Amino acid sequence: MEKKRLTIALAGNPNSGKTTVFNNMTGTRQRVGNWPGVTVEKKEGNLTFKKRNIKVVDLPGVYSLTAYSLDEVIARNYIVDEKPDVVVDVVDASSLERNLYLTVQLLEMKTSLVIALNMMDVAESRNYRIDVAGLSELLGAPVVPMVAARNQGTEELLQTIIDAAEGSIRVKGINLHYGHDVEEEIEKLEKSISGSALAGSYSPRWLAVKLLEEDKEIEQKVGQA
Amino acid sequence: MDYNELIKTRDESLAHLRRIHGDDAETMIADARYGFISGLMKDVLEKPLVEKVTVTDRIDRLMLNRWLGIPLFLLILFGVFQFTFSASTPLINWITQGMDWLAGQAAVISPAWLSSLLSDGIIGGVGAVLSFIPIIFLLYIAMSVLEDTGYLARAAFVMDRLMHRLGLHGRSFVTLMLGFGCTVAAIMSSRTIENPKDRLATILVTPLMSCGGRLPIYVFLAAAFFTAYQGLVVFAMYAIGVILAILLAWLFRKKLLPGESGHFVMELPPYRLPTITGVLAHAWEHGKAFLTRAGTLIFGAVIIIWFLNYFDVLESIGRAIAPVFSPAGFGQWQAAVALIFGVLAKETVVGTFGTLFAGAEGAAGFGAVLSAQLGWTPLIAFAFMAMVLLYIPCVATLGIIRKETGSWKWTFFAFGYTLVLGWLVATLIYQIGSLFV
Repeated sequence: MEKKRLTIALAGNPNSGKTTVFNNMTGTRQRVGNWPGVTVEKKEGNLTFKKRNIKVVDLPGVYSLTAYSLDEVIARNYIVDEKPDVVVDVVDASSLERNLYLTVQLLEMKTSLVIALNMMDVAESRNYRIDVAGLSELLGAPVVPMVAARNQGTEELLQTIIDAAEGSIRVKGINLHYGHDVEEEIEKLEKSISGSALAGSYSPRWLAVKLLEEDKEIEQKVGQA
Repeated sequence: MDYNELIKTRDESLAHLRRIHGDDAETMIADARYGFISGLMKDVLEKPLVEKVTVTDRIDRLMLNRWLGIPLFLLILFGVFQFTFSASTPLINWITQGMDWLAGQAAVISPAWLSSLLSDGIIGGVGAVLSFIPIIFLLYIAMSVLEDTGYLARAAFVMDRLMHRLGLHGRSFVTLMLGFGCTVAAIMSSRTIENPKDRLATILVTPLMSCGGRLPIYVFLAAAFFTAYQGLVVFAMYAIGVILAILLAWLFRKKLLPGESGHFVMELPPYRLPTITGVLAHAWEHGKAFLTRAGTLIFGAVIIIWFLNYFDVLESIGRAIAPVFSPAGFGQWQAAVALIFGVLAKETVVGTFGTLFAGAEGAAGFGAVLSAQLGWTPLIAFAFMAMVLLYIPCVATLGIIRKETGSWKWTFFAFGYTLVLGWLVATLIYQIGSLFV
């Protein structure tokens, strides 16, 4: 069987157990450096699973993907510029609602997303009942329940990542509708953008949304193109 | 399509949306996301009708209490220092005894210059710094426990209201607290502060917090001069640092960086039992940096100091600068030299004294030597400690300020204002104190 090299990025809120998931996946094979040009720590690790070489990049823990903080810009630029094969979103099952804000934004970017539904034990101890299959269906992305602190679910997560990367699971994502009036403006902007040089690496719809959000970093990028 | 045209189209869209909805597009887009999520939640999540009160909720009811929050925070902080000091004292004594024994062995080596280099320079200087390893490690262990349990976020939360009254972000307080560990790491943590002016003000005052590198000097001088009130004296240094940091942040924010402070949600992660490996790993990370400095920077510095002293050059360098510090009581050349080399890393101050007064045994010995040879009193020692706390951040800190602010101007500003502040405070302590003592 051929050996393939996959690159995956780990995203998630602070305190979602992202670092534990990262450690479970990569063990001691980690490398710590800095993100280019800034003093924010960048962690990378390598592993082999079912004959695939997988590189894992740990993105900064963020709640959102706006341009308001350096961490958020780093996370989002990595996804847009480096195009990892799969983005894993580590979600704290015990505060699902808050964590999903990032998930939704990752899905808006049309990433190939796998959701690691972590801290299932904490959610269960609070008597939360999460319909995992339903969540997966509604988000259009695979959801792997796990308890990273006890190293439960790591294998399933890795298998799902490979399936998503190789197309045996289709990540269809969501089509978030922003409301009639906003959608109209998005459409106008999309048309203007699709002619520009940026349209290659960015989805015009995503750019349009970011421009409407008055995202300063994206404005700059559009200006440079 | 060209940029200006695109932005113009966008601005028209924004204006149009604002006209019909009275809201920014940004808000409407966020609302769409929240709407999607809350709908989703109804479908996939079933919560118990009455939410179980979690352990975190119960602890927070006490920790975040309107009236008890701040007193509890001060109590916990005091507990941390008490723990650090009482647990480390016997360990420090053992190491000191070991170093004295080593110095004794080195004293009989010939030729005499080599013996002096080894026993006075290296063992006296580096050894003096190394003897504080236990307290540094324990301090870092205590700091990691505070951080890893989630208490640090609570401390910031209870201080938030006060911070806002001073025109600052609650998150600034987290950075300041981390400054008790290492200023460099603390300044790096400031990037969670979203408002650039809040962030800059916080970066500028973080060096006023007593980091682990200052601790050896406090412990060294407190043991030498304040036998009965050591703990209180050291705590006073920490307090001076915190109070000045908050005051100056307020001043900078008002005079140099005027503008609104950002609004934000103070995240309260659930309490977690810290893992032993996690805490030890954090402590080791910082402790290792301390050891590395002792083995490289401080090792090099004490050799230079010994060398300059052996050839009678050091004294004239010190004498050239010392008069500046006369108003603060420590206008002796030895103190001036210690301050110059202290900029490399603050614990070098202890290394310098260790080299210059090698042979003094134990804290009492150093106390006696400093009183006899420099004419130091407890008041002068106290003023000197304040100077060491405040004056010029160490080289590594200046480096990180440059890197994080991206500006030489602010780096020089941090260099200059701390020097003036240190001199002023030390002088005030000495002059006012002299009226009473």
